[in-house]
Amino acid sequence: MRPRLTPQRLPEWSTRHPRLTIALTAALTALFAAWLPGMRTDTDSKNMLPATSDVRVLNDRVDQWFGLHKDMIVVGIVRERGIFELDALESLERLTSAIAGLRGVVSVDVTSLTTADNVVAEGGMLRVEPLLPRVPETPEQMERLRRSLMGNPMVVGRLVSEDGTTTAVYVPLERGANGKVVADQIRDLLARERTAGLQYFVAGDPVARDTFGAEMFRQMAVFAPLAGFVMLIALHFMFRSFALSLSIMAVAMVASSWSMGLLVAVGQPVHIMSSMMPVFLMAIATDSIHIFNEFYFRLRETSDRRQAVLETMEAVGAPVRYTALTTAAGFGVLALGGIIPVRVFGLFVGFGTMVIRLMSFSLVPAVMMIVPDRTLETASRREDLQAGASRWLGALGRLSIRHPLAVLAAGAVLLAMVATGIPRIRINNNMIHWFKPQSPIAVADRVMNAKLGGTSLLHLVASTPEAEGLKDPARLAYVEALQREVETDEDVGKTVSVVDLVKRVNRVMQEDRPEQEVLPATREIVGQYLFLFGMAAKPATLENLLDAESRRANVWVQLKSWDAGAVERVVGRVEAYTKSHPPPALTVQPAGIAYFNLVWNHEVLKDMVRTFLVALVVVLAILVVSFRSLAWGLLSFVPLLFTIALIYGAVGLLGKDFDMPISVLSTLSLGMAVDFPIHFIRRYRQRLAEGQSVADALVWTVARPGKGILRNAVLFSLAFAVMLASSLTPYITVGLFIMTMMTLSAVFTLLYLPALVALRPVRRAPANAGFAKEG
Amino acid sequence: MLKRAAVVIALTAAVLPGRQVHAQEPPSAGTILAKSQQAFFYAGSDMKARVLMTLTSASGQKRVRELTMLRRNEARGGEQKYFMYFHQPADVKGMTFLVVKYARKDDDRWLFVPAINMVKRLAARDASQSFVGSDFTYEDVSGRDLEADGHTLLREERVGSRDCYVIESIARSPAQYKRKLAWIDRNSFLPIKEEYFDAKDELFKTFSADEVAEVGGVPTVTKRTMVNQKTGHTTTVVFTDVAYGLGIDADIFSERYLREPPRKWVQ
Repeated sequence: MRPRLTPQRLPEWSTRHPRLTIALTAALTALFAAWLPGMRTDTDSKNMLPATSDVRVLNDRVDQWFGLHKDMIVVGIVRERGIFELDALESLERLTSAIAGLRGVVSVDVTSLTTADNVVAEGGMLRVEPLLPRVPETPEQMERLRRSLMGNPMVVGRLVSEDGTTTAVYVPLERGANGKVVADQIRDLLARERTAGLQYFVAGDPVARDTFGAEMFRQMAVFAPLAGFVMLIALHFMFRSFALSLSIMAVAMVASSWSMGLLVAVGQPVHIMSSMMPVFLMAIATDSIHIFNEFYFRLRETSDRRQAVLETMEAVGAPVRYTALTTAAGFGVLALGGIIPVRVFGLFVGFGTMVIRLMSFSLVPAVMMIVPDRTLETASRREDLQAGASRWLGALGRLSIRHPLAVLAAGAVLLAMVATGIPRIRINNNMIHWFKPQSPIAVADRVMNAKLGGTSLLHLVASTPEAEGLKDPARLAYVEALQREVETDEDVGKTVSVVDLVKRVNRVMQEDRPEQEVLPATREIVGQYLFLFGMAAKPATLENLLDAESRRANVWVQLKSWDAGAVERVVGRVEAYTKSHPPPALTVQPAGIAYFNLVWNHEVLKDMVRTFLVALVVVLAILVVSFRSLAWGLLSFVPLLFTIALIYGAVGLLGKDFDMPISVLSTLSLGMAVDFPIHFIRRYRQRLAEGQSVADALVWTVARPGKGILRNAVLFSLAFAVMLASSLTPYITVGLFIMTMMTLSAVFTLLYLPALVALRPVRRAPANAGFAKEG
Repeated sequence: MLKRAAVVIALTAAVLPGRQVHAQEPPSAGTILAKSQQAFFYAGSDMKARVLMTLTSASGQKRVRELTMLRRNEARGGEQKYFMYFHQPADVKGMTFLVVKYARKDDDRWLFVPAINMVKRLAARDASQSFVGSDFTYEDVSGRDLEADGHTLLREERVGSRDCYVIESIARSPAQYKRKLAWIDRNSFLPIKEEYFDAKDELFKTFSADEVAEVGGVPTVTKRTMVNQKTGHTTTVVFTDVAYGLGIDADIFSERYLREPPRKWVQ
């Protein structure tokens, strides 16, 4: 051993001054934790893309051109026997004005039947007024209202459903208003509306987004401690020492405090992604289990406590260091990506991982020094290769050494079966799917999409180079044709543009006959119609459809699905149409929240895929370098590849989207699934270097460090099983994913590595001499 | 008309002694506003002006509306007639608009659309209706029934070089605002500044009289601005060629002249 090896000195020092080590750790942790009260949270997943990103700049501009608002909540009122009844419309009227009075709502632009402009002809007089100026009193009046609304293409599918059972209130939010807060206020209002037979629903992107953000933080505050508690109990069963069990949790808490504290200190807000850091760090901290595992075995072999600790650290030091390194690298690679909150997340989890590593060599040995003798004696007595898990693990090891080909073939078959799912993976994100199907948000979205044109809003902005250019009937006709084309898509429920308005005015300016609902012949007429409309209507009605210079028209496209894939299809349809039907000096640009979701999907998820692939290479490189051997590096990579291939194959086969939660987990899985092989191979090669035969060394590795691996996997699974109780599907996904990943990775490590090694020609690893020095 | 003139004289007389009046009880809020309406919306027996409205969006996009406006006060209870001829934007040149305003009922409005050679009657709608897409409502242009609000004189305050009454009006019948603060010049009784508050009592609109000039002895706001504080949208209105007491014929304000605008008044 070379004298300069400080990592080895750290355990020496901390075992000599265990209490001082603990005190120092506590002091440093307090220092970092002091920053925590200054924490700012950012629950808005939109902020995954910076405000300066192209799509956000575009959307800001489109909002300005057309006086649009960033976010819109949709409130649905449903009565199955029909909405055209006195009490139902009165309820709508009450709600509309109550909602307009809520803080965070753009009062003047709250749109429902009682506020939306409608152009009608009435005894030679042109009237522009709310669709529902006053609730009709007689059945005849009601019937007349129903007929006039159902015959108005600007209304049907948007404000009233085609079957007349549903009406909607569109609630634009002020900049910076929180969708969940406003939605909660609306729900309070709805709770006070007790009109018989009416059902109310609250849907829309800001509700889903902000509810998810808020819930995520809330549930993290519940599940992180809960998972910690479960782990603590499990650890106690494994090691029978409260102090030792607690020290693993302490490592997790120290790492969380340091990295969260540092995050706050550098002025970063805690984003929905970084809110998951404590859970991830807790998972990573369980790597310390390998230290305890070995320590208990060592205790049986030597009577000197400090000796046992130092030997343990020497034996597991290298694997612990390298597993930390690969995990940190797996996350660190995220910093190469283009998404800032993901970079922050990667960097700080990476930092936390290094803190865990530091604690493994300081805090953990220190705690091992001060645990009372009696506790340890009783506990370590149970650690015997001939007993318990070690015994059947040994049998398992012998099995795979004896029948390596059979074991490998079985694995290959399984892999081949599941791997067919990989090409089927769809990169797609749908925020509604982040809620359980029976949750109010998912139900509201489903009902509204079934009844009305759709809750997801896409804008198609048609621009001309010439001012007043969109008053040209030829261009308007093109916009109309584009609307009809887009409407052929199954997920497009409704489109509205200035064309619909001009046609409407044309009709009422004449004899108000349906066949007169067409575009007029000249630019002049269009101009005067629009001016006329502008004299009578709310300015916003026209502004939302046509910019001030009549250079750009805004087509509102309502989608029935929040799938990024659906938006992509519609945008593709527009592109194809403009190619096959060249427009008259007109360009069409998609925008709006649906387009944002599409770009977000591309940028964030594809970025994740890219960094994931880079991480794979980086981890492999670290393995090869650390083992000083390409063969060992590749070998240690096998369980990881198997695990990932199986999981993603299953994701593909089950038809589950490769979405945000899954993509975050990919990098996590990388860093963690490779831990077990590292422990296995390192310990196996140490054993081999001690002069054992290949078969004996393998069986020993499966039985002894293998028990640590198994413990680690069980611990993980238990902790993350807690998350299955969450109401947010991403947490359930996280829970399931990690449970599966750790179990598979453990199984593949314990089953396949022995088989693969057994197949190799017996050969001493050339880097044996390096083991001690590498540490 | 004589009556009207008498009122103006009486008003002037009331205002002129200045300091002495100040020392006495201030007039009631209702009296101040009545005088203000008179000075702002009813000045002269009739009036002609060239009006240039510039609508500027928050992003700086500008639109222009240019019109000639003729206004005639009728003898009966505050009735007024407005005739408007649009010069700009270019594609609406020749459109004309006729409004008859009554004190206690909805306006009558007619519009001539030259492109299809048709006069159409337009129904008036709620008080908050925008005037030709600007930040001014019809009420901002032609006045609101004073009895539709409850008024309180809050204080007196200087705005720039002017001594003003500050009056709070709270809407009793439907309005665009829930509450409005007006700074009314003690001398001219013209509104110098107004602030409008919405149902949530948030400031959403501000008015300012940017330039005031004497036209034939009548103090006239020749430049005014309305800013929508929520959207940043702004409308600036400049009056040129203002003239009062021209003796504009009553029959100018008819459908016939909508189709054939009177050359004498509209160039």
